[in-house]
Amino acid sequence: MKRLLIGALGLALGAAPAIAQSLEDLNIQIHGYATEGLLYTTQNNVFTTDSSDGSPAWTEVVLNVTAQPMPKLRVGMQGRYFLLGNIGNNISLDWAEADYKQNDYFGFRFGKVKTPIGLFNEIQDIDPAYNFALLPQSVYDILSRTTWLTHLGGVAYGSARIGSTKQKLEYRIWGGQQVELPNDPNIMLGLEGTGISLPNGWTGPMLGAALHYKPTPSFMIGASNTFFRTTWSAQAKWQLPSSITLPGGTVLPAGTILQGTNGTPPSQLPYYFAKYEKDKVMVAYEYMRNQYLSFYIWPTEPLLNSSFRADQRSWYAMGTYKVTGKLTAGLYDSQSIDHQQPLSVSGSPNYARYSKDWTVNARYDFNSYIYAKFDEHFISGTELDYDTALNPNGIEPTTKLMILKIGVTF
Amino acid sequence: MKKLIVISLLLTAALVVAARAQAQVIVIANPGVKATEVTKNDLRDVFTGNATTLPGGGSVVPILLKAGTVHEEFLQAYIGKNDTAYRAGWRSLVFSGQASMPKSLDTDAAVVDFVAHNTGAIGYIGKATPHEGVKVLAVK
Repeated sequence: MKRLLIGALGLALGAAPAIAQSLEDLNIQIHGYATEGLLYTTQNNVFTTDSSDGSPAWTEVVLNVTAQPMPKLRVGMQGRYFLLGNIGNNISLDWAEADYKQNDYFGFRFGKVKTPIGLFNEIQDIDPAYNFALLPQSVYDILSRTTWLTHLGGVAYGSARIGSTKQKLEYRIWGGQQVELPNDPNIMLGLEGTGISLPNGWTGPMLGAALHYKPTPSFMIGASNTFFRTTWSAQAKWQLPSSITLPGGTVLPAGTILQGTNGTPPSQLPYYFAKYEKDKVMVAYEYMRNQYLSFYIWPTEPLLNSSFRADQRSWYAMGTYKVTGKLTAGLYDSQSIDHQQPLSVSGSPNYARYSKDWTVNARYDFNSYIYAKFDEHFISGTELDYDTALNPNGIEPTTKLMILKIGVTF
Repeated sequence: MKKLIVISLLLTAALVVAARAQAQVIVIANPGVKATEVTKNDLRDVFTGNATTLPGGGSVVPILLKAGTVHEEFLQAYIGKNDTAYRAGWRSLVFSGQASMPKSLDTDAAVVDFVAHNTGAIGYIGKATPHEGVKVLAVK
């Protein structure tokens, strides 16, 4: 029922003349967009959907309200209804902030703010902003994006020309608390089948910086890094899905509940990227490395304490070309490999070690307000995007994923 | 030889038409804006949300036309995008919390009136449009 209401709201917003309402006296603006996507896979079910049967369970409706009470001060907030398979189906706050911009050299926004890591992190959930229905999952995994999209804190930003040349340098510095709710897909799917949950989610301090160098207006090369300087820890609960026999013969029956801690020592999250965009052409490349240790401590059963390492190295190369004023074609190759995973398991290739995806795409803009996208993904490896509940017979090493998406924005 | 002359004439005519199209659009600013001229790069930065000041000092606020020939010519000449791509770029900034959408007005006259009466406003109009009360910025 909620989906129907949200869908009706989205349609009503889209059916109305695509004009943003501007309340002159208060400088208030209202914008929004709505998208509906259809997924089909040749085998495997992706993103917790029944995609192998064709799934329309991908819906987003976003409403954005901003005001500019003073020339240098802007305030705003954005809410979202999101549904993807079994994830979401709720309304959440994307961001809420106050932004003070002294001049082009310095500005500062604080609140719940977008985290400016990488090339596309700030817009990875803004479907109208890019050509593809799905950004490269190696770097912008839709199932873990809520982890990285925003933080509670602030971002300082600015830019400066280098001398009297066309060269430009842009910076971003951010800090605050990163928060993952208990029902965050990254937590739920990461722990799926283990019986482990994090009742209070995850939270911890972080600090980051990004630098973008533009030697010409069309070309940018940059890097960002986020530093998690302290050990993060979260309350963990483990309801054993099956019995465990400890050394010494003690048997913990299925259903036993243990209380403990999940932690991650200090780590970093570096991104390196470049983008060229001029006239009809856009080309981009990005590399990311996510290397961390995660441990579980069960005080009442210390023999069950465990830890694991991950070293996910991911990259993609993409390009788009504006074929006509309304039609843009795109292509990307994307790879993610966890170098801590073994190359083989029981003599067979370990497909869970990697995920590779090359994609062809087209976007058609009917006008400034309505667009459609088509993606065809050729995926191998099962590191990303699959859950076991909807793939009870196991996950095949390859699949093709087709996405049709329509969006309306104002 | 004759073919070469015809091709040259056609090319020249095309260049003249293109130059004339560009020359039909002028950039105007509130008299309080200190700059008297602006580079194409600086103009693009302001009208794409990447800058809020012009060299020479002073904050500027871009004002757009909603649609029309002047709007399309301005985008082609100084932004290098069509209206759809241009507004998509602004929406990226709006939906990620980095900017508000610039004001869009229906007519050249409305742009002139707004720019004349709002500190820092910078816009574009057709060359033939009366523009008392604003200053014209040369684009180099």
